[in-house]
This record gives sequence, C-alpha cells and structure tokens, in this order.
Amino acid sequence: MKQIIYLVLIILFPFSLFAAAQSEEGVDVQSTIKLVNYVKKADRVNRKVVDHSKFSVLKQDFKRPQDVTLACLGCHTERHTEIMANNHWTWTRTEKLNGRGEVTLGKKNILNNFCIGTSSNRETCTRCHIGYGWKDETFDFNEKENIDCLVCHDLSGIYKKESGKAGYPYEGINLNVVAQSVGSPKRENCGICHYWGGGGNNVKHGDLDKAMNDCSREVDVHMGTDGEDMSCIECHITENHNITGKLYALSSENKNRVTCSQCHTDNPHQDDLINKHGLRIACQTCHIPVYAKANSTKMWWDWSSAGRLDEEGNPLHETDADGNHNYMSIKGTFVWDQNVKPEYYWFNGLADHQLITDTISEIPVQMNTLDGAYSDKGANCKTKGCSKIWPVKVHRGKQPYDVINNTLVQVKTYAKNKGEHAYWKDFNWDESIAAGMEYVGLPYSGEYGFVETEMYWPLNHQVSPASQSLTCIDCHTNSTDGRLASLTDFYMPGRDSNAWIDNIGLILIILSFIGVCIHGGLRIIMRKNCLHD
Amino acid sequence: MKIYIYQLFERFWHWMQVLLIFTLAITGLEIHGTFELFGYRTAVWTHDTASWSLIVLVVFAIFWHFTTGEWRQYKPSMKLLKEQIEYYITGIFKGAEHPTNKLVYNKFNPLQRFTYLGLKILVIPVMGITGLSYMYLNYPNQGFQLAGLDIVAYLHTAGAYILIVFVIAHVYLTTTGHKPLSAIIAMITGWEEVDEKGARAMLADELEVALKITKARLKTDSNKSELLDTALAETEEKLGVKKDEKFRNVVANSGAGYFRINCEGIYEEVNKAWASLYKFNSPEDVIGKHYSLSRSPEEFEELEITFNKVRKGETIPHGEVTRICQDGTVGHHTVTMTPVVQGKKVVGVEGFILDTTARLLAEKELLENKIRLEQILAERDGK
Ligand code: HEM
Repeated sequence: MKQIIYLVLIILFPFSLFAAAQSEEGVDVQSTIKLVNYVKKADRVNRKVVDHSKFSVLKQDFKRPQDVTLACLGCHTERHTEIMANNHWTWTRTEKLNGRGEVTLGKKNILNNFCIGTSSNRETCTRCHIGYGWKDETFDFNEKENIDCLVCHDLSGIYKKESGKAGYPYEGINLNVVAQSVGSPKRENCGICHYWGGGGNNVKHGDLDKAMNDCSREVDVHMGTDGEDMSCIECHITENHNITGKLYALSSENKNRVTCSQCHTDNPHQDDLINKHGLRIACQTCHIPVYAKANSTKMWWDWSSAGRLDEEGNPLHETDADGNHNYMSIKGTFVWDQNVKPEYYWFNGLADHQLITDTISEIPVQMNTLDGAYSDKGANCKTKGCSKIWPVKVHRGKQPYDVINNTLVQVKTYAKNKGEHAYWKDFNWDESIAAGMEYVGLPYSGEYGFVETEMYWPLNHQVSPASQSLTCIDCHTNSTDGRLASLTDFYMPGRDSNAWIDNIGLILIILSFIGVCIHGGLRIIMRKNCLHD
Repeated sequence: MKIYIYQLFERFWHWMQVLLIFTLAITGLEIHGTFELFGYRTAVWTHDTASWSLIVLVVFAIFWHFTTGEWRQYKPSMKLLKEQIEYYITGIFKGAEHPTNKLVYNKFNPLQRFTYLGLKILVIPVMGITGLSYMYLNYPNQGFQLAGLDIVAYLHTAGAYILIVFVIAHVYLTTTGHKPLSAIIAMITGWEEVDEKGARAMLADELEVALKITKARLKTDSNKSELLDTALAETEEKLGVKKDEKFRNVVANSGAGYFRINCEGIYEEVNKAWASLYKFNSPEDVIGKHYSLSRSPEEFEELEITFNKVRKGETIPHGEVTRICQDGTVGHHTVTMTPVVQGKKVVGVEGFILDTTARLLAEKELLENKIRLEQILAERDGK
C-alpha cells in the first residue's frame, strides 16, 4: 500500500510543479512587472540642467526664425550635422528593398492612399518638415540655418508652423519666449506632426491621437497621465538626434526599431507558454486589442467621388454624427471608425512598396506589402526575428491612376491660387495629374481612372492595460469572428480541425454508443426470454 | 468462485489511467474547440500536466510489464479469436458459455489481446509523441521544429477519438463477465468471480504450471520431497483460491485426476476426473483394483520402480506417461506421485494426473502438418 501512495505522488508530481508555476501568476501585475532600462515615474528625479532664459543670445531681437537656429547652433555646435542626417530633415533614406536592391524612399517621393504624395505640393506638406522654406526642389538641404529647432524643442506651446508656408511659423510669434523655453521634446512636439498626418487628427495611424496628450491608462497604458505618463522619447530613445523607431508603413528594412522588449525583456510573462507565444506573436497583437480608442481614425478614403460642388461652385464639407468629415469636395468620401479591432498579418519587419514607377499588378493595389508568413521561421527565417503575427490598421481607398501606363500617379493637389492646376482649387483631375507627373518627371498618358488601394499600418501605440489584453479564446476559437480567423496559413489548435477526422470521429462515437445500447438491450431482452423458458 | 486476477500495481495503473485519459479527453476536446468548460488556459494547463502524469505512469507500467513478464499477456493470438467474435455477436444472447476463460496466466481473450496491444504499441505512443511535438517542436526556439502543426494535430485528434470509442466499448464489455459487475469489481479488489467451468479450467492450468515448476526443481534437487508441498502451496496462492476452501476439495472438483494407492498396489481412492480419464463409469469401478490394470507390461515395470521409490519416501514427478483406458484406447498424462505418510510410516502413494492427450494429439498433428508443408515447399523449390 505504501508503494502505491509513493507512486501516486510521483505520478501527480507534474501537477504540483505546474501548480506552483501557476500560483505565481495571480500576483498583482503592476508590482511584479519585470522591467529593464527604465526608471519608473515614482523614482524619477527631475533636475533642470540648464535654464535657457538666462542666455543673453536668446534675448536678441530675432528677425527671422532662422536667426534662432543660428543662436542655437552658436552653443550647440555641430548638432546640425546630426540633424541633416536625420530623415525628419531629408524625408528620404536609402534602404534595401526586398528583391530590388537599394531604393531611395521617403516622404519625399513615396505615394500613399491618403493625400497621395508630397511632390508638387511641398509648400503645404512641408509644414511638417523640420525646416524653413522647402517649397520646391530648389531647397538647400545643406543650409544649416534652414533647420527648425523649435518645432521639436519648444516647450512653451506657442510655436506653430503655418499652413502653406513651407515650414515657416506664424508671423508674430514671440520667438524670444519660445527660444528661452526650450528643452527635450514632449509628446506635444512629436504629436503636432505625428498625430495629424494625413490632414487630420488620428487620420493615418489610428494609434496616435491628440487625445494622447492627456489620456487615461485605458487609452495608452504607457502614456496615460494617470499612470506612468511616459513621453514619446522614453521609448524612442534618441542619441545625437538619431531617433529610434521608424514608421513600419514606410521602412523597408528591419533596423533602428523601438521594441517592447527593450524594457520588458523577451520573457515578460510569468507563464512560460505565453512567453513562447511571443516567439511568433508580436506583443502588440494581444496588448492592443483595439485602436482609435479616444477618437476615430480614417478607414476608407475614396478620391473618386471628390469634386462635387454646391450650386455656386463652392467646395462642400459634410460631417457625420460624430463630427468627422464624411465628404469633402477636395478629397472625396471617408469612412471613420472608433475602437477598431485590428486586422492581423504575419510580418518580419521588411516591407515592399508600390512605387510610382511600378506597374499595377494587383487590385487592390498594395501600397506597402508587409513581408511575412507562418513558414518564415527557424531555418527559413528572413530576418533575425522571423515573422510574427502583428495587429495592423489597414487603410483602404480609391485613388487616381494612369489607365494606359497602369501606374499610380502623383497629383498636384495644392496651390495658393486657382488656375495653377491644383485639384483643391480647380477640381480638374486631368490637369492636376499632368502637373503632378510633370513635377516628378514621369509620363502621363492623359487617361486616368480610380483604383482601389490598401495600405498597412502595423500598430504600436495605445497599448491597453494587461487586464484588457486578448485571451486565449480570442484566437483559439473556431468562431468566424475569432481574431485570427483569416490568417489561415498555419494550423492553430482550437480554431482549425480536419473535417474528415472530426466527422468520422463523431460518427464512430455515436455508432459505438448506439451499438452498445442495442447489444445491451438485446442481452436484457433475451435473458428475460430465457428466464421465461 | 473467486480468483485473484489483478495485482495491486495493475489495478492502480488501470484506475490512474482511467482518471488521466478521462481528464485528457475532456480538456483535449476543449482545446480542440468542441466545447467550453474550464476555460482555455486551464484546459491547456490541465492537459499538459495530465499528459506528463500519463507519461510517467506509462513508463512505470512498461517497467512492471517487463519485470513481471506480464507483457506476455499481450502477445497476440489467433486461437479462438473467431469464436470470441461469434460469442459477442450471437452466443452471448443465447446464454452460451464464454469460449475463453480468464486465467491468471492468460487473462485476456484474443480480442482483448489485440485491442490492448494496439493501444499500447500504437495509440498511446502516437498520442505521446504527437503530444510532445505540440509542446516542444512547435516554436522556433528549439533546434528542430515542425513545418506546421497540422499533421501532428490530425494524428492526435484521431487518436483521441479512437480512445473515446475504445472507452465506450470497453466499459460496456466489462459487463459481459460472469455477472455484470464482476469484471469491474475485480479491477477494484483484484478478485474476480468466475463460473464453475472457468474456475476448473483455471485450476488445471495453474496446476500444470505448478507441476512443471516442481518437475524442473526436482530434476536438479531430487532430495527435497517437500518441494511438491511447496508447489501445491504456491499453486494455492497463485490461484488465489480463497484459503477457506480446502485445496483437495477443489482438486476433487477440478479437471485434475487424483489417486491414492496403498502399499499393496491397490487403488484406495480415485476421483471422478481420474475415473473419466481412464474411461471408467465411476470411481467405484476402480477402487480395490491393482494398479497394473492400467498399464502396458513394459510401462508397468517402470511404474513399479517409481512406485517403490515413492514408498521409500521420495516424491517423483513422473513426466509424461501413457495409460491404457478401460476401453483399450490409449491416453497420455503427466503424473506426480508423493508418499502418503501415517505416523512415521509410508502407507501408500498419492498423486495428480493431468491429461495431455489432446495436447499430444495437437502436437502430433502440428508436426505432421509441418512435415507436409516442408514437402510441399521442397517440391515447389525443386521445380
Ligand atoms: C501522453 C499523452 C499526451 C500528450 C503529451 C498530449 C499533449 C497535447 C498537447 C501539447 C496538445 C496541444 C494543446 C496543449 O498545448 O495543451 C494536445 C491537444 C489535444 N489532446 Fe492531447 N496529449 C496527450 C494525450 C491525449 C489523450 C489521451 C487525449 C484524448 C483521449 C488527448 C486529446 C487531445 C485533443 C482532442 C487535443 C486537441 C487537438 C487539436 O484540436 O489540435 N490527448 N495534447
């Protein structure tokens, strides 16, 4: 008997091991969260290292914003060389594109499916350029005084760039106040461009929204002002003006990334099975269950319906119940959405792009193909991290293309005045496309149409508190609205099964059950007969 | 009558397996998406843990099977397979007798042998291997990884269904024993109730084995006369015949023949089995007669020598002997003789005989078949 008790103990031993591992899990997430390279808010010491209001050079009478830049560089010498290498300045970078060699790509020349492209519209687009005066291709990228230090370093909040002014600030801003209140960028500095990309708040990313200047932990667990209150550069660690992190939708190579694991390590969970999931699933997938939590984001942009004017020939604005534009004569029709569930794709950090010179081979046109597949793992791995499942905002729409040449086109949308072939003034596609294509030096056949396009925006921000992250059955379910219902290039327990095996199995179980009942029933009946005999 | 059929470890192993397979089936189906019960993470946790327990259990069981030689119970056999199937299809309804008997040395019928062997060498290993592949060959952190989980999952799921079907049939078939619950009670207590015929067959089987063991021992150590007693005691224990029943009484009702001869060579007692083996109508026809009656002259001489040895106090397991039956036909049996002691004097000889005629005939036939087969093969090869 004793031996048996020992045996029971040995055999149930795994249970005790696993149970011990489990019990650690229940502990409060906040207090046990494993962090490296990070100082918690409570432990941070806020020291003011320098007070710019004491420098006389910043008290001079600044005639031009460039004079502020020169004053900055007077002390911070050589910093301009760092800036000039930064693609916030160049709007372009040379990267290896999968299977096409080196390509020079960036905001300067790429097309998207929002405002289409910056070429031929520089004057207004460069409002988000960290420089002064990039209104056309004559802009001198080697002129250091053209650098706009203030847009990033102003902490007074009164510095603003003006629309259509090629990056110059509004007239009349007190540049002395601004210059004397500079410091490390705050979220407002980054946000002024990164929230507003695509011509409106949260239009592009869906996970970068002006509400994040002051939001709760529910909206963004990192930035929540009721929580850790982290600024952008807490993660986007910057040294010598090299800002880590690149827009996934535009970067082709997997480098200079910001990762969750830089603070959370590769094994952030108590539960080893979940850590293992992290080998194939980006943290973002479970931890960003929905995006556009505070304000809507644009999901659909149809340029083909643009150009409808009122009786007097004036452009229209129509707004939906939430106050979002759903029609603008200059841009077309929009669909917005809030608290959106992401779509999920394999992604290994590499992306391909539909360049303006590429012929269209696929409809909807894939503006930026995220590279990745289930099979991109182990020995087949294309990058050092292999493909993982990512949450993605997919922005869909219709935009003009050259029907004969079968390419996407650059459109001249912006001009100050009518008659300069800008679509937003003249509402003439033909002329605007011709002007846009001429600007970039590419042929236009003269015939345009509208083609559907899709652009992929992997999500990184608006991480939810752990209690709201996805759970097993959000994916491990055979329901059609399982999160991974459409990512079908691999077998996943709980979602997939072989219909043959399941059906045959079920039939066998039912048959054996029926068989047993019949056999048993007959035995009872026959036995009874025997007794009567 | 009750016999002790399942040892402690066996019963433990069986019920532990029941618990684990049941747990694995329920949690496995939840993981599979068939239903929601414990919650996915809990189901996975329980499944993974129970599977480790099962693996440990199976390792112990393998060890046990080999150290005890019990693995032989699972050697497949075609003998009576057809009869067993027919029994389940028709016989059972007519109240026919089981074509096979549960014996300690042969406790499974041929159908069981096949089924259990299949589970042991195919289904359980496949479940274990595919299950461990799920755990360790899926994520790209090991040296080797699978291209995908699909094949593994299909095998594992199919195995799960097979096990569930097995469990349904298995549980039902436990009710086909002597009484509906006797098989299940046996697995709990170790003691199984069997019918008369079953008990006899089992006794003969045991006796034969016991005698063989004794024989082997006596050959090497012929001085030890108490060895037969030991053998009988062992038999008694092995049979698990409950101690309150006198062994001799059991023997008296068993297939084994019993005889006692006094010093003059006169049969003093024979049992019914003995009489029928010699084709006498009843023991009375024999009692009082001289033992030469049942031997050929040559064998009689030999027997006399043995008889005299036994009278001097030796125990002789007289291997295979030939008997002449009442009707003149010839039979074969094994015999063991021990002295009958009263006070300090040997007053006679007693012993058991076990019929081997059928076996010898079968062996003969087998041999003939073999020779015929060899001839056919030789002819064919010649051409
Ligand atoms: C040593 C034996 C076993 C091992 C190591 C094992 C292991 C596993 C593992 C690792 C999984 C994947 C889910 C998870 O991580 O928990 C799984 C799934 C499953 N197991 Fe087992 N298991 C074993 C025995 C069994 C048995 C005996 C049954 C049923 C009678 C069973 C039924 C299932 C089912 C139905 C699934 C879901 C399959 C799917 O939908 O992909 N398993 N098993």
